[in-house]
Amino acid sequence: MPQPGFFILHPAVLPPLTAGGYTLHSEIEDMPHGPIAPLDAHITVSSPRFTMPPEQILSTYPPANRAGSFQASLPQIVLKRRTLPWERLLDPSDEHLPWLALVVVAEGEASLSAEARVEDCVTPGTALPHLEDRDTATSVYLSVTQTVVNGVFPTKGDVRLLAHVREVDVHDTELMGGDDDGFVSVVIANRLPQPAFDDQGNPIPRKYLACLINLEGQAAVLPPPVPDHVDFTFEFEATAVVQDLRGLSDAYADHPDLFVMGAGAVNPHPKTAVGPSAAVDTATAAVRTGSAWSQEIAAIDAASVSATAEQAPSLVRDAMASGWRIPIEAYVVEPTYRFPVLAHWSFTVSGDPTFEELMKGLDVGLIGTLVGDLPPKTPAQIEKEKHRTPPPAPARPAPELAETGHVGLPHQTRRGDHVDAWFRGPASPHPTVREQPVDGRLPLAHTSDQLRIVVPDGREDISLAAAFEIGRLLALSQPAVVNALLRWRQEQFGAERAARLAAEVNESIGLLAGLFDQRHPGLGALIGRQFVLAAADRPDEVLAPTRPLVDPGRPLTYARGDLDKLVADGLGFSLEAVNRVAEQIGVVAALAEARVASVDERDPGLDGAGFAALRAGLDQAVTSLATDVLKQRGTPGPNTVTVTASARKQDALDQLLHSLEEQP
Amino acid sequence: MTTTSYLQSAEFLSTTVKAVSEVTLAPSDTDDDGEHVVPFDLRQWLARLRLLEGVPFAYLVADSALLPLESIRFFYVDRRWTDALVQGALSVGTVTSDDRSRLEQLYPVVRSEVDDAERRVRPVGGEGAKSASGTITGFLLRSKAVSGWPGMHVRAYDRELPEGDNAIIPEGDTRRLRLLRLERLAPAVLLALFDGIPAIVHIEEPRRGIQFGIRLDASGNPPTTFAPWIPPRDTQDPQKVINAKVPVPCRPGSPGVLDFDHLNKALIARADTHMGAEIDSAEFALEALRFPYRQVFGDVSNPVGRLADVFQPSVRIRAALGEGTRSLVERFETGLS
Repeated sequence: MPQPGFFILHPAVLPPLTAGGYTLHSEIEDMPHGPIAPLDAHITVSSPRFTMPPEQILSTYPPANRAGSFQASLPQIVLKRRTLPWERLLDPSDEHLPWLALVVVAEGEASLSAEARVEDCVTPGTALPHLEDRDTATSVYLSVTQTVVNGVFPTKGDVRLLAHVREVDVHDTELMGGDDDGFVSVVIANRLPQPAFDDQGNPIPRKYLACLINLEGQAAVLPPPVPDHVDFTFEFEATAVVQDLRGLSDAYADHPDLFVMGAGAVNPHPKTAVGPSAAVDTATAAVRTGSAWSQEIAAIDAASVSATAEQAPSLVRDAMASGWRIPIEAYVVEPTYRFPVLAHWSFTVSGDPTFEELMKGLDVGLIGTLVGDLPPKTPAQIEKEKHRTPPPAPARPAPELAETGHVGLPHQTRRGDHVDAWFRGPASPHPTVREQPVDGRLPLAHTSDQLRIVVPDGREDISLAAAFEIGRLLALSQPAVVNALLRWRQEQFGAERAARLAAEVNESIGLLAGLFDQRHPGLGALIGRQFVLAAADRPDEVLAPTRPLVDPGRPLTYARGDLDKLVADGLGFSLEAVNRVAEQIGVVAALAEARVASVDERDPGLDGAGFAALRAGLDQAVTSLATDVLKQRGTPGPNTVTVTASARKQDALDQLLHSLEEQP
Repeated sequence: MTTTSYLQSAEFLSTTVKAVSEVTLAPSDTDDDGEHVVPFDLRQWLARLRLLEGVPFAYLVADSALLPLESIRFFYVDRRWTDALVQGALSVGTVTSDDRSRLEQLYPVVRSEVDDAERRVRPVGGEGAKSASGTITGFLLRSKAVSGWPGMHVRAYDRELPEGDNAIIPEGDTRRLRLLRLERLAPAVLLALFDGIPAIVHIEEPRRGIQFGIRLDASGNPPTTFAPWIPPRDTQDPQKVINAKVPVPCRPGSPGVLDFDHLNKALIARADTHMGAEIDSAEFALEALRFPYRQVFGDVSNPVGRLADVFQPSVRIRAALGEGTRSLVERFETGLS
């Protein structure tokens, strides 16, 4: 058993007996009572032949019905039984040659049949040995032209290299995926599926079908091995086309029922010669594929969820094969071949960058690095960037970014003002300093406003306040958390308080130990009352410092010296006289007797002449003031007056000035 | 002294006041590792909150320009920010000043317990010990790689590994920093948090990607011509890296179809692969298997032990120094003018 994380590769695991019929012949000799008739027992060693049981398929790569960047990996299928690829003999002289091959065909290169009798699943004229050894009555087959066989199928030498056995740790679920003995056999394809390309050379998705085919009886059809002495090409043109027969699908679309009903061999149309380069514009065809593939994936998904349980597997498989339904045998003149398909699935190669390319192309930096202020790129990086799609240019101006990672964001204050505030999330480009406890205490904010900060540039930094609010709202959004917080406070704080009190009391006076043990029913109420009283007495110690009820007022600078004297002076009587009298008759009587100067409201002491003199004085004062003002304003002109009047609302003084100016 | 008179005495009064005003919670929760003041559920929830679980993405990255397409951004976690999160959560249900003063008494204990719980949120074995620094760092990765390769492996080490970038490091290596959180926030955004300051970070392709992988060198304009190659591997010692390219022969006219028969012969012809002369699909598989790709993030020019030195911030924070030398940045941070 290999260690976790490791696996062992075996070239092949050969079965003791290959599939087929066997006769067990037994004879017993030298028995004393004469010979015993020999016994022939017939044994059939069975093995999958035309269809692969689903439980034998552990995994496929690329995953069925997936789109992705699979262009640099060879498709593979992992089978559960380790001996499966070697259970039938392709060539009796070479038991190491697998009878299974995984071929990958693009849309238009081959045709996948509907269910057909297994006798029809091989090229007509090929005689399969022991045809009675069948695991199923009907199966599907892949029809391919000679061109595609020569272009895509593996050679005999390839087939041998493309199957092996892996022994993995059963506990390593990533490699195992549900096998029981740790041995799996792997069959690999010989083709890197390439995406299609448009006129500009941009990759567009292309759909592929992977088929696990049975090579029995048809090993001679495989392409001949390339001679050793030729010059090999070490590169390929991804835009090349092996064969594209999709142009025929239009004709097929007129009579689809003929094909579906299995009448593909009966050809109502004259044969059309289609060479290796079909008269189909690759680019258009590829674009059509690109637009169609997502619908097909959706159709496959729909089939998988909507069909009944019995029909789902066949419907899904049928939907996957939808791009390979062209009846090519009816249309091409070159030889075509049929191979039984044991398992098939389709996938789409999108041409996206691979994991490695994506990782190498990453823009690396600390948070707060904008794409614009990267260090200059090395020539190698620039060359690399030419080959990947450039990141789109930012559609809006770069954000206001501080050295500390803060971003300037529009902020609407509670009063409704629109201002700019600084914000930074939990990600900082610098190490930050965390508050450390001082004397066992840490500052704790109770509302978010306590965390608002005004920075030297006059703007607010609301990062921490926003964090506080988010934490508060997240807690409030979950009733369970709110409940837990409240319960924690009520139960444990209360219990702790009582326990603590008991301990303190016990410590101070041993007398009352029994009392607290008995849990006197009135004790709780008594403690509560005592506590309230104590708290009311000294709230600053128990709860928090309180604000005084009355704030002291502004000091009066003039109110200095003796208060009595100040009052007496203010009321206009003599303090000394009152004091003198008070010695004889008492303070209250003396104050009552003291005469305070006052003005009789009913008789102000002014007559008509007095009023006239006052009014004249007032008029004179107003006139002199107004004249001074008019002098300062210069000569009154119509323009000046208009401007002033329109600039602000007129008040009483303006009206007065106007009336003065209008006077001659 | 009768019970009643004692309970009304000044001595009892002062004891009561002392008990109430200095209330601290004794350990109440012994569910798991040791004794705790904060109940287990609450502690777990606060720790997850501390690891930014549930925090809206717009609050993690305030502007999309901070995390452009196809980018990775490393950061320090601002502990004051995460502390503010916890304070906000704790403030729920504090109605009276009494609640608040008690919470203030307790807060240092709560904080240190949540610090501890933070490291237990993600149950994993074999990672390095708790970092002494208490600093939490991490990265945000926004890339197609996140959506296309779910389950990628992320490992961080506190120092440069002398074994080299491609060495296989055991899972339980003590230099490895504990991974506090690894989660996809969006289909294409990955958040990772480490307990400590990493010197190098490895991001590795998921292991299920062990297939026959062929490297493709693109050429041409537009680049549609590909030259496939594989790195040869010593079949006696597969860990050994041979710096060479073995070109893979192609079948002319068939895009992507490879001639493995002749590739195998070319590999056998190389002495450094130590392959037998027989055609052996296991040896061939060993050559053609593509191991998961590992991207290493670290300092390329100046291998040092601390990330703080690797990603040179142009202004450093010097908190330990006196008031006079406090940098502008710090004053900015604390809001002092």
